[in-house]
Amino acid sequence: MQDELERRRTLRLECEEFLYHAAELLDDRRLSDWHDLVTEDIEYRVPIRTTRERSSNTEFSEEAFHMKEDWGTLKVRTERMSSDFAWSEDPPSRTRRQVSNVRVIDYTDDEIELKSNLVIVRSRKAETDPDILSMERHDTFRREEDGYVPDWSEGGGLKLARRTVLLDHTVIPTDSLSIIL
Amino acid sequence: MSHDIEQSLSAGESGPQRTRRILDSMGETLERGEVPIEILNDEDIYQRELTEIFGQAWVYVGHESEVPEPGDYRQRTIGEDPFVFVRDEHGKIRVLFNSCRHRGANICRAEKGNTTHFRCPYHGWTYQNTGDLVGVPQKGAGFDHLEAEEHGLREAPHVDTYNGLVFACIAPEAPSLEEYLGGATWYLDMYFDLIDMEVVGDPQRWVVDADWKTPTENFYGDNYHVPMGHKSAIDVGIGSETATGEEESKLYGIADCDGHAFSIYQIESEKPMFWGHPERVVETFNHDALDDDQYEVARKSGVTLGTIFPNLSFIFLGGRDDPNKDPVGTFCLRQWQPRGPGEMEAWNWILAPTDAPDEYKERVYEVGMSTFSAAGNFEPDDIGIWDGIDEAAGSVFAEQTEATTLFTMGRGENTAATVDDDWAGPGTAYANGGVTDENQLDFYRKWHETMTTEGAE
Repeated sequence: MQDELERRRTLRLECEEFLYHAAELLDDRRLSDWHDLVTEDIEYRVPIRTTRERSSNTEFSEEAFHMKEDWGTLKVRTERMSSDFAWSEDPPSRTRRQVSNVRVIDYTDDEIELKSNLVIVRSRKAETDPDILSMERHDTFRREEDGYVPDWSEGGGLKLARRTVLLDHTVIPTDSLSIIL
Repeated sequence: MSHDIEQSLSAGESGPQRTRRILDSMGETLERGEVPIEILNDEDIYQRELTEIFGQAWVYVGHESEVPEPGDYRQRTIGEDPFVFVRDEHGKIRVLFNSCRHRGANICRAEKGNTTHFRCPYHGWTYQNTGDLVGVPQKGAGFDHLEAEEHGLREAPHVDTYNGLVFACIAPEAPSLEEYLGGATWYLDMYFDLIDMEVVGDPQRWVVDADWKTPTENFYGDNYHVPMGHKSAIDVGIGSETATGEEESKLYGIADCDGHAFSIYQIESEKPMFWGHPERVVETFNHDALDDDQYEVARKSGVTLGTIFPNLSFIFLGGRDDPNKDPVGTFCLRQWQPRGPGEMEAWNWILAPTDAPDEYKERVYEVGMSTFSAAGNFEPDDIGIWDGIDEAAGSVFAEQTEATTLFTMGRGENTAATVDDDWAGPGTAYANGGVTDENQLDFYRKWHETMTTEGAE
């Protein structure tokens, strides 16, 4: 029992530190470093949400997305966003990611399934009224040697293998998604 | 309000005076290829657009494939007005006003679904999906005088479909849709008659800090901005074959086409181009649907884009989301929804050939999404550039100087943009269409004409 509790605590701490680290990379616009932390078979999805009746079994589309990415398309996006000619991000928008409510759902020796909440506060130019993006993320982390390792950890590195972003918005409340969620 | 303030206010221009000044002067500025920038952010102009443009024109509502079954519905807006786009139980497409005849509450509150009836949550008045009123609680006790057949939901008086595209006009009197589209049908047939198309999933929707006219103007044919505006996407290798220079093309700008405009990249090649669709997909097209001239233009088409007045644009292109994957032909249909002066909401639908294999349709969606959408590799750069035009347009300085935007490209003596008299389709075709502003001027001519039409006061 004590061992199990300790293991869950360690896992959650490890996941939280990975999420905080990834958020820092994105907030600091180190997009290529972020891309190094996704697995080669990553599935990254941001399905479109619609307002539905309560009786409807889901509000999220299975065929329509804002982003539906793999390793290659994420590489294209991160490279493009880093270009001197990506006008939507030059001057760059300023983002601050607030990660919270981290819940480990399931785990094996190789993979951890978790949920977390994310609020992104995004500002541009001299605007004092920032755009706020609110969402839940369902992630799967996988142990890979060249993944992220917190300095206290004795375990293997972590990479992002699957992410589904469940937005709280049906209309994206910011003028472009030229950022990674 | 103090006396002094009242005096200083009365000395300035009132909203209607300002509107009149702008519209009057625009008649002259258009002649010299200029447009008053103030129209991109002005409250009175905006209110007049809602009544005189969105309240008068045929406005796109949706695609038939979005409501395939009886009872299927989608909430839509015409201008800012709330409507329900529904296929009724008899299979007829209707555009119902989303407001109960009793006290005005929304009778439809979900964005989409399927229903036989809409029931108002306020007092329980119930309407069939045909709009007919069929239920009034305590009718005998309180509404025995009410004629149910006269209290069905109000609906758009004119609804019509062109090759799957559903439009509505809320004005009492309207020309037929075909008459309104005019020469544009010759071009639309190349996409929607040659190819049976269907919408994949739900539209992407996002807010944009720009006036609805700014992207509309762009999609009337601003082909001048591509090398600079979209350099970041072209540099990472996902531009279309015509944008990257892999295939040399000629660009035709189609202006003077009943208020609508198109840009058509033609690739002179023996092989069929068809906007980048591969042979196995081209095989599924309706090859007999077009006349020989149209068919030849379709065969040679690289990127094609255009706009149906007032706010329905499209871009059809061969593209990819990763330089290591095969390009596919993808069709993005977009509507620039007015949401206030200098503010809009963009809607983007991605369409795929109905008879193509499922895995190809999935790729069409992915490439469309990665190219033109809120998170597309091309679109955000446009939007990033447009942010700020509204501030300049709404400025005191713009008003004081009667500042204009400039559409004189291609007017010089040595212009490369020349009229191609051999062009088979309707409208005036400008060869080297990337260096003329005639398409875009057409938008503002049509806009101005609509805003100043007799009775528009």
